[in-house]
Amino acid sequence: MARKAKRDRTIEQQLAHGPVDLPFLALVLLLTAIGLIMVLSASYASAMYNLDPAVNTGGDPYHYFKRQFLFAVLGIGALFVMSRIDYQQLRWLSVFALGGSIVLLILVFTPLGRSAGDSDVRRWINLFGIRFQPSEVAKVGIILYFAARLSKRDSQMGPPKKWNRRTLVGRMGERLERIGLLELVPYVVILAVVLALLYKEPHMSGMILITVAAASVLFASGIGLHWFVAGGTLMVGALAFLITQTKYMTARINSWLDPLSDLSGDGYQLWQSQIAIGSGGLLGVGLGNSRQKYLFLPEEHNDCIFAIVCEELGMVGACVVMALFALLIIRGYWLAIHARDRFGTLLIVGIVTLLAAQTFLNIGVATGAIPTTGISLPFFSYGGTALAIQLAEMGIVLSVSRQIAAPKAE
Amino acid sequence: MQDPNRKPRGGNHGKSNRSLLRRTIFLMVVLGVAAFLPLVAQLYKLQIVQHDYWNERAANQQRKNVSVSANRGTIFDREGRTMAMSATVYKLILSPMGVYGSVKEEDYKTNAEYQQALHDKRAMIVDWLVDAFGYNEEWLWKRIENTKNAYVEVTTELEEEDAEKVREFASEKKITNFLYLTPNSKRYYPYSSVGSHVLGYMSQNKDSGDNKVGAQGIEAVYEGALSGSLGRVVTSKNGYGMEMISGYEMYFDAEDGCDLTLTLDERIQAMLEQTLAEGIETYDVQDGAFGIVMEPKTGAILAMASSPDFDPNHYSTILNDGLRQELEAIAAEKGEDSEEYGAAWNAAWNKQMRNRALSDAYEPGSVFKPITVAMALEEGIVSLNDTFYCGGSKVVVPGTPPVHCHQRSGHKEQTLTKAVMNSCNVALMDIALEMGPDIMWKYFEDFGLFDSTGIDLVGEGDPLIWSEEEFKGPYGTMSVAISSFGQTMKITPIQMITAFAAVINGGHLLEPYLVQTITDKDGNAVYYHETTEVRQVISEATSSTLRGILESVVSDGSGHNATVNGYRIGGKTGTSEKRDEKGDDVICSFMGFAPADDPQVLVLIAYDSPKRSGPGSNYTASGTYISGGNITAPMAGRLIGSILDYIGVEKRYSDDELAGADKPMPYVIGKELTVAKGQVQNAGFECRTVGAGSIVTHQIPAAGVSVPGGSTVVLYLGETAPTDTVEMPSLVGLSPTASKNLLEEKGLFLRATGVADYNDPSVKAASQVIDVGVMVPLGTVVEVRFVSTIEYGDQTSD
Repeated sequence: MARKAKRDRTIEQQLAHGPVDLPFLALVLLLTAIGLIMVLSASYASAMYNLDPAVNTGGDPYHYFKRQFLFAVLGIGALFVMSRIDYQQLRWLSVFALGGSIVLLILVFTPLGRSAGDSDVRRWINLFGIRFQPSEVAKVGIILYFAARLSKRDSQMGPPKKWNRRTLVGRMGERLERIGLLELVPYVVILAVVLALLYKEPHMSGMILITVAAASVLFASGIGLHWFVAGGTLMVGALAFLITQTKYMTARINSWLDPLSDLSGDGYQLWQSQIAIGSGGLLGVGLGNSRQKYLFLPEEHNDCIFAIVCEELGMVGACVVMALFALLIIRGYWLAIHARDRFGTLLIVGIVTLLAAQTFLNIGVATGAIPTTGISLPFFSYGGTALAIQLAEMGIVLSVSRQIAAPKAE
Repeated sequence: MQDPNRKPRGGNHGKSNRSLLRRTIFLMVVLGVAAFLPLVAQLYKLQIVQHDYWNERAANQQRKNVSVSANRGTIFDREGRTMAMSATVYKLILSPMGVYGSVKEEDYKTNAEYQQALHDKRAMIVDWLVDAFGYNEEWLWKRIENTKNAYVEVTTELEEEDAEKVREFASEKKITNFLYLTPNSKRYYPYSSVGSHVLGYMSQNKDSGDNKVGAQGIEAVYEGALSGSLGRVVTSKNGYGMEMISGYEMYFDAEDGCDLTLTLDERIQAMLEQTLAEGIETYDVQDGAFGIVMEPKTGAILAMASSPDFDPNHYSTILNDGLRQELEAIAAEKGEDSEEYGAAWNAAWNKQMRNRALSDAYEPGSVFKPITVAMALEEGIVSLNDTFYCGGSKVVVPGTPPVHCHQRSGHKEQTLTKAVMNSCNVALMDIALEMGPDIMWKYFEDFGLFDSTGIDLVGEGDPLIWSEEEFKGPYGTMSVAISSFGQTMKITPIQMITAFAAVINGGHLLEPYLVQTITDKDGNAVYYHETTEVRQVISEATSSTLRGILESVVSDGSGHNATVNGYRIGGKTGTSEKRDEKGDDVICSFMGFAPADDPQVLVLIAYDSPKRSGPGSNYTASGTYISGGNITAPMAGRLIGSILDYIGVEKRYSDDELAGADKPMPYVIGKELTVAKGQVQNAGFECRTVGAGSIVTHQIPAAGVSVPGGSTVVLYLGETAPTDTVEMPSLVGLSPTASKNLLEEKGLFLRATGVADYNDPSVKAASQVIDVGVMVPLGTVVEVRFVSTIEYGDQTSD
């Protein structure tokens, strides 16, 4: 396909061919590269001993690394593809993205869905030979749809509907619209459907992340703060209820507060994670020299990979990694602020908030700052499709960054 | 219809954009900066503040600390016999995880086949172990099915022979990766129970972990020297406990332990134990016995024994038959799980582990008298020429009942020597009261009764003695009087013998000891025990006088039964009441030394509570009068004789003894009767003739046979000597003369041992070597042991 000459492009097209934001791209690639190296180091032992019953590594210590590397390459490809797509196209695609996500979430409960081991947990799906979690797709779907819809909130919503004040329904409707409840209804319904499906899987961490991402888009779009106060209160209340009233959650909190009391259960992972982090000290035991990865620390190349980072690279290395994440997040929001339109802003806010939430929750869990939830660390944790989708999301951010108008030369 | 409150659209739009900006910046600050602060704080806490804590936790679980045992030193007796040695044995290690991992699931078509194969492999190992060594099958199955475990110690003391079997099996079945051996060390005591209390044993305690350490005796006291220092290998391990191929490793070399050479002599120790055992059996002794053999000039302990004893190779079994029978009786009645049985077992075990000669204070009784006499002589309170009058009892404190002498009729007028020979309590009380408490207290202290002796063993008992105020105070007079013959106070046997050694060795109180040299693995002596004198207590002259007095006690006094022909033995008997216990049980003891003029050995033996034939009876069921002189002295005399024979002290006979000593029979066949008679008499024999010829045709005994001098040999004149055998008659209870006549009538000869005093009517045959009824050839020399029954003991009576 021959490329159009520059002069033949429409303004829209010209905008879509602006330069991507290099700092953001560089941070993404840097984190991906560090992440790959850490997966190699962290997974080495468990791959060599081949002790995960669900995975046959054949004793190849590079097993996990090879797969992760492959997906990283694919993911970077996806990143470039996404960054080249004019994100304005995503406005109408978002409907299909959301619809598709919901279909996938339903398919999990069909024979296409794969449950890991013999547990009843159904989070994975096998489609066209690719095994992935539909919740990863759903996150993007929700962000896209919410951003697309909320971006038209002020400008393109048309005149307000006329309510028939003579009827009770009419008066109620007008009232509800005035306080802003009515416009929330579609979002709440969509979110409720997705959360219900995730709850069915069950997939607690997915629910948290989707809620946070959706809330961030709603928040940025200017929805009344009182709704967040109300929603937040509701959630804190629900959480308090769960913690105090269900044994499962109480045990989880207890094993967080005192991991030694539950060493044969959840406490073990936190205890081993803290040993790994604590024994790393200021400078760490050196890259590749972790001892905790030798079958002490569970999930060492997944959820607990940050503990291995801390052990091998010390507090200095861990802070560098966290700084890179912080810079990426700050740069992301900077791009959001400078985006060409509200859609771009909301899109980036959703994606970056999702990234920030994952980062914060993962590191918080590993260090024992917050109770255990199974959330992976972006760019680091082992998981090919998750990494690829992650990189694709970054591609979307980059796509938005292309259309930022260059600062005028003075 | 437009809402009047609504602002124009453009303004609204601007406001909306400002809100978007503000809220996005808010998110940027919260998620990009603020959120990371608690995380950094948490990392700081874990990695910097608590770093040491977590580092130690990490080291604890990541390091495998394998100790490398050092070879424990050998314990030799004074002649170089091995009393305790360590040898390499093996720990048999099984890795259930290894067994599990060796059967691969993918090699089998179905899960059932896989499970079967896994089960077969386990069964193959378990069955073989059960078959070869008889291990508990259930226990093994339970272990082998725990697939998370990589280290099961099946046994810790597999000997080389069995280890070889394991090696063969494991290599044949190609399972050396999960059934293997690691070297371990085991302690052997080649003479089993001989010297057990002195040697001690090895066991684990709460601080020693897997390693066994010395738990008693020499093994415990010299743990440091014997054990050497443990080596260590520190390696890294993974979360499943498996050693890592390429972890860091640190080695700390093991240093072998030193060898010990004891003053103890295994032969003498065995003799002592044998003597204790025989005495216990002969006199039906109920509470065991103890004994010590010491070299009085150096303080070296040649033997030390306590009965019941144990076998350090199997210290947790009850060795003593009597104790075992008692336990079996309880087990039969109450069952082995009962509390009573457990308590009885513990009591029995404690009893057999206790070294009474070291730990149990007792009232020494009359054995203590020489010490009282020694201090009186040293202070010039009495002299050999003083006489004492015993009327059978003495009122010590006016208004209190009199203290009796054991001979109620009294010993009447007697010299100092005679008083000791008689073991007269009244004379001793007179001496003590004349001396007074101050002098006595000083000498008690000098003789070391208030201190431990300093012997290199653990568990030396404490003496039980009055306080100084009490002894010297107005109410101490009775104690002063009675302490003169060793009652009202308890001291340990080792204190008693150490003090007694000072009495006879020239007055030197020595530190008793057991370890002569400590030698390192290269053969260098790192320690040599020099005789350690604590203090000079009495003068050489006093000591010499005491030796003379004590020799008289054995040659002609209450210790007469300790006599051994050819050796000059001195000693003192003792029959002490157990005043702090109910009942009339006594401890019969004897302290003897030889040769009397130059003591080489000093022996203390005591039997605790020989059983009386009935209530109030003074005799054992076998008819022996219960006293140190009758029960212990003969046993001690024989022991002293054996020890002197063994260490090669030359026998010196008096003229009388020489006449009765063994002599070879000359060859007189074919000689004229008169010539033959002359030859036989010259050789020291009497003779009688059978037949009427004039030429000797046969003789009994044959030429060259050793027969005690004075025996009547038989010469046959023309008649053939009968070749048949004769039946052994019973001699027990007969006098030496009667025994000799009876035997010689039958053509047998008497060799008298013990108190072979032909003039003393109290001397009776106590035992014969050849049992009654046994057919013996003519001319056999029959050894018969005589004792004199001394109808008074040396007992305190009050």
